[in-house]
Amino acid sequence: MAGVQQKPEKDVHEYSLLPLVHDIIKCMEKDSQDVNQELAKLKSKIQEAREQISNMPGIESSPPVQQQQLATLREQVRTKNQLLQKYKSLCMFDVPKVS
Amino acid sequence: RLAMATTADKSTKERLLSALADLEVLSRELVEMLALSRSQKLPPPGEDVQVLELLVQRDAEFQELMEVAQQQGKVHEEMQVLEKEVEKRDSDIQQLQKQLKEAEHILATAVYQAKEKLKSIDKARKGNISSEEIIKYAHRISASNAVCAPLNWVPGDPRRPYPTDLEMRSGLLGHMANLPSNGMNGHLPGDALAAGRLPDVLTPHYPWQSSDMSVGILPPHHGNDFGLDPPGHNKENEDDVEAMSTDSSSSSSDSD
Repeated sequence: MAGVQQKPEKDVHEYSLLPLVHDIIKCMEKDSQDVNQELAKLKSKIQEAREQISNMPGIESSPPVQQQQLATLREQVRTKNQLLQKYKSLCMFDVPKVS
Repeated sequence: RLAMATTADKSTKERLLSALADLEVLSRELVEMLALSRSQKLPPPGEDVQVLELLVQRDAEFQELMEVAQQQGKVHEEMQVLEKEVEKRDSDIQQLQKQLKEAEHILATAVYQAKEKLKSIDKARKGNISSEEIIKYAHRISASNAVCAPLNWVPGDPRRPYPTDLEMRSGLLGHMANLPSNGMNGHLPGDALAAGRLPDVLTPHYPWQSSDMSVGILPPHHGNDFGLDPPGHNKENEDDVEAMSTDSSSSSSDSD
């Protein structure tokens, strides 16, 4: 559990299961009784990861599809802004502007 | 890489879960292999290296995918902000549309009213009457048709403090009742006809005295009344009326 303070580094490596597998192999080589405990740890880690994945926002689509959606949204905002700007500049009478 | 290319259109969530499941299976397999080889005191088979390699590869993929997922989470946040902005713009546009509709309605009403006004202006122009003429007419009706006879009125004076028959006929009410007014110029001698003073033999016969009049056939001395006089009106009390209307103190509206 080293590097807990370094958040970005930790984030990437935190999801690796290799350290736990390594611990299990070591225990097996030593014929340690801790192997069951280590196996339980791996199991719970996998379960934890599953829950985390199901709670992560924005991964319901693949990155290209998401990028497309983002581009569409940006385009929408741009078009609507343009439209409003056009009508604002059309105000040729001295009408009190409504905010 | 080929497998990744085919799964590129799958959602990141699906790929993550599948990678996680692979990792679970591979790690279990590896542990079982090692346990088996240890319990049977056999040297580990070469397969465990393959499984380990696969496990390492899948683990790296899983981490990569987790990184991608985190990036997608940030993009998702950005998208939410954009969605809110789109909603706001939509409501702005709807508001604007509502105002434009209101303005259209107001303008349409204004245009309609302006057109009506123009029509009436046009109508007024076509029926142009000089103010002088109106004043002349006002003077005339106030002089001859006042509620009271002129100060110097004496029996025989043609002026009357009320409209004469001829004037009634040429007025709006006369037209509404379809009373013919042809052949009249409003200057019958002495207006005596209107007062019903002429003997019946001298009374000129006008078309309106025919039987299609609403009043029908009247007794000879009522030939000129046309139903305008109250019942019981006759020549005897007409003199009283004339005598009464000479009272100059009753009104100040006479102008002559």
